[in-house]
Amino acid sequence: MAGADSPSAALQRRDLCARGIRLAGKMRADVLNLLDAYAERQGLDASASVAAVEGVPAAAVERWDEQTGTQRLLENLAAYRAFRALLAQMLEEHREQLGEADAALGRALAAVLLQVSAFAYHLEELLRLESRGPPGEEQEQEEEEEEEEEADGPPPQPPGLFEQKLRGLGVLRELAQWAVRSARDLRQLAKPSPGSGPAPSLAESP
Amino acid sequence: ESHTQYERVGADVTMKCGSMDWDAAVTWTVNGTDIDESHLNGSYLILKNVDLMQSGQYSCYEGSSWHLKYQTYLRVGTPPKEPVLMCRSNNYPKGFYCSWHLPTPTFIPNSFNISVIHGTKEMVCEKDAVPKNRCHIRYLQLFSTVKYKVTLTVTNALGKNFTTLTFDEFAIVKPDPPESVVAKPVPNNPRRLEVSWQNPSSWPDPESFPLKFFLRYRPLILDQWQHVELSDGTSHTITDAYAGKEYIIQVAAKDNDIGTWSDWSVAVHATPWTEEPKHLTTEAQITETTSASTSSFMAPPTTKICDKGAMVGSGAVAVCWTAGLVVAAYSVLFI
Repeated sequence: MAGADSPSAALQRRDLCARGIRLAGKMRADVLNLLDAYAERQGLDASASVAAVEGVPAAAVERWDEQTGTQRLLENLAAYRAFRALLAQMLEEHREQLGEADAALGRALAAVLLQVSAFAYHLEELLRLESRGPPGEEQEQEEEEEEEEEADGPPPQPPGLFEQKLRGLGVLRELAQWAVRSARDLRQLAKPSPGSGPAPSLAESP
Repeated sequence: ESHTQYERVGADVTMKCGSMDWDAAVTWTVNGTDIDESHLNGSYLILKNVDLMQSGQYSCYEGSSWHLKYQTYLRVGTPPKEPVLMCRSNNYPKGFYCSWHLPTPTFIPNSFNISVIHGTKEMVCEKDAVPKNRCHIRYLQLFSTVKYKVTLTVTNALGKNFTTLTFDEFAIVKPDPPESVVAKPVPNNPRRLEVSWQNPSSWPDPESFPLKFFLRYRPLILDQWQHVELSDGTSHTITDAYAGKEYIIQVAAKDNDIGTWSDWSVAVHATPWTEEPKHLTTEAQITETTSASTSSFMAPPTTKICDKGAMVGSGAVAVCWTAGLVVAAYSVLFI
């Protein structure tokens, strides 16, 4: 297997990044359409502020410009794997609640789920190219559970219908942010870099 | 001891001459000019329904000694109306700036206080030295769905007012217009114009945050613009220009993914290449010119000499009326 910095690996990385950027762009456009349709269907305001939803990976990041390529890929991959599970759950809930009553929304949800899965796979390919295989999903889940173990208290109540709707809105909104972030991350990754050290930070003065 | 006194336009103002009794003999002046006694009530100066022109330095002198007993600077103005606030990121992802102004002047000094809250966090908006009514913020986080809330309060001696803006990170992204727009004719191409430009210098990282562009152009003689959207590159060749017509061209920019279009760039003017006008020449010069140039006797594609309906003859020898006349004229020259 070619080393991470060989010319052919660099070309492959650039090609994968370019395709990933296109995938992210398409995904974002579809997610935004879905967000509007979902909000309308659920009787919600798509632009209303929604508090951070537990379990939904937040796209917000500090010192974004200082992240290494590997960090970017790992964070993206963890996020899209989480979105894959969240969207699958939303689809399940949608089918239970509405059955065939809103087939178009169900299809749109399924289409976005497919794109998220494809994007996650794409990120795994990029990680393999970085000579760092993608972490197993079981390993990610274990790390999450270790972080959550310290939280005490009674087990959470299953969410009511309204909470489900708000959660769905939060999932889609955050996914739309991630799609923008991913395109930016892949552009950073596509830049020729000396290695896996930190990317040069932007100049200090505004 | 000098004071400053602020009063609203239209107010009635009473000025006392310091500690002088009401019935003391005094003289009031404004900006060195005596004020008529009709404005006095005892030693008090009464100004009714003050207007802006009555701002000035008012002084009160003891009657006989002309000792200065009191002095005040009267400033007539208005309390502030709701300020106009705008926030924008023209240097994404570094940060954003907010700028403000009052819709109408107050004529007295105002102070502005701005607060920026992101979620639960209060951020510092650093005031710019120039211009004064502007401050900037660095982004501490990117890709956040949490909205920013900016509140601007304006205060002066006569009152206060405020306004609030709420927005998310992506919505306020608006680059500056493209710079160094240049439009040039293309030699031997009467319908083309080559346009090039540069990214705005305020946009810090066009490689990671590429811009897309919108070009608009029209001949000066027409009102309707043609538009072209370009997803990459900083140049474009217009291929459908009207021959010989002067064009006006502008370019706008937008982040590829988020925000809104910039304002239009400075307009540039250009006219497509046109053939040199022909002069009457001798036979020798015609021969020389013909061998040197391939297009001397070729009409430019957009220049119509004749329609198909004006053709005479048929098959390979079909000639139109006007072309026939030209040929005939040249033939006469060589007889």
